[in-house]
Amino acid sequence: MSDNPSIASSLGNPAEEAVRESRHQVLRELLGAYADRELPPETIAQIDAHLISCVECRRELDVQDAVRARLAKEPPAAPSPAFRARLGAALDALPAPVIAVAEPASRDAGVRELLHRRVTWIAISGWVVAMVLALVLASRSGGSAAPSDGARALVAPVKSVPLLDGVVNDYARVARGELPGRARDLSAVRAALGFPIEPLRAPNLRLLAAWTTSIAGEPAAVLAYRLDDQLVVQYLVAEDAFFRHPAVRSAVADRHLLTAAVDSKSLVAWPESATGTVLIGNVPSRLLQDVWTTERAR
Amino acid sequence: MPATLREPSIDLRSRFEAVVMPHLDRLLAFAIRRSDSVADAEDAVQEACIRAWVGFADLRDDANARPWIYRILRTVLSDAREKHGRRQQLVYITRLEDAHDDLLGGEKDALFSEVVARLDGEAVHRALTQIPEDFAAAVELHDIDGFKYAEIAEIVGIPIGTVMSRIARGRKLLAGAIVAELGANPLETETVSQSDISERRTVRGGPR
Repeated sequence: MSDNPSIASSLGNPAEEAVRESRHQVLRELLGAYADRELPPETIAQIDAHLISCVECRRELDVQDAVRARLAKEPPAAPSPAFRARLGAALDALPAPVIAVAEPASRDAGVRELLHRRVTWIAISGWVVAMVLALVLASRSGGSAAPSDGARALVAPVKSVPLLDGVVNDYARVARGELPGRARDLSAVRAALGFPIEPLRAPNLRLLAAWTTSIAGEPAAVLAYRLDDQLVVQYLVAEDAFFRHPAVRSAVADRHLLTAAVDSKSLVAWPESATGTVLIGNVPSRLLQDVWTTERAR
Repeated sequence: MPATLREPSIDLRSRFEAVVMPHLDRLLAFAIRRSDSVADAEDAVQEACIRAWVGFADLRDDANARPWIYRILRTVLSDAREKHGRRQQLVYITRLEDAHDDLLGGEKDALFSEVVARLDGEAVHRALTQIPEDFAAAVELHDIDGFKYAEIAEIVGIPIGTVMSRIARGRKLLAGAIVAELGANPLETETVSQSDISERRTVRGGPR
């Protein structure tokens, strides 16, 4: 039996009642769109006629109107000057996009395709440039290392870069517990991952342990080192994972070293031939930068 | 491979500023309602703007900039929810539907409009967090951000019929959440008599 007051008088005719109830249910589902004037005129006319005799639908319409009217008063949130400045700086640090003439299949697909193209292009062209530079410098200096182009701070918050945020969180976990393995595990780590893994070498750096993990959903090698009397950890990921975020690409462009800090932890990051390294430790950034300088001199 | 040309970067940046930045305040409000803090919301909006700038070439028509940037922001927020395992404080839908049905079953709906109109922003936000995100997003995009159904379909990536049902059902659930939040019989605690209710119904023109 229907509880619709509008059809109480028609209870004597079950067939007619069923038709009206069915019609009531259909029109009731359209009341939100009716309130929003998003229906064709003929449907609006049908609902106008139905509302004359249907108390329940009139009440429902009042509820829809009331909620909509209240939400319409919700104010926007004024961005703070500091946020505007940070956003402007982040955009300034990025290269201007290239306008493609061809129409992408869809916006999302277009964005993904463009990002993929940019990552691939930057990865390939970056390393072509690096190779050419290395050859030129090697020919000039008899094989000595190319000079570093210096450190460049990450402009985006570390938290907004999944790779770096994942490294910070994993490092915090590693630093709290016991190290899971020893240096001899490096061969197992190499066998488990599809990219080359070479430990860092520096006079005051000694490999303690190696294992695998997942950072931002990507497989990663974790190499823990003793740097003097401090623990520093190297995270190696495949190049596509490393170059995924525009802030990372922007920071390491032109052979710079990405630097960032979270609380007392310092991070540096740089790309390698088929991978990317993020080195993190509760040490001054200068010490990590020295490791990178030594590494580039190899 | 598509041919490419370069628009002068200064012009491009000015164009970006003109079509995206005016929506920053609404984008930030949308993100705040889905974040644990204003700082998290700012991070999400910044990330969305960076992605928008990187993919600015995909925006063919500046008139579509607003739904386009909202779509990007929704993706960023969705990624963040997935990453941080953030969960809404959902109330059972059946409980909200029951509260909504009770509202329609009595004479309280006339008072409901006035109570809802007086709700402060915090109460509205609380109610929005109690309904499923899919419904909340559709309702907010229409009622707060002023998008048409077709634009919401594009932003969310669903058919327009689904937008229609999500908005209608989302408002019902929101009404249920507001009633449930106010207490067992919140509308009866108002100092408005039954004759006031009848009078209001008459003033509003009776049957619609």
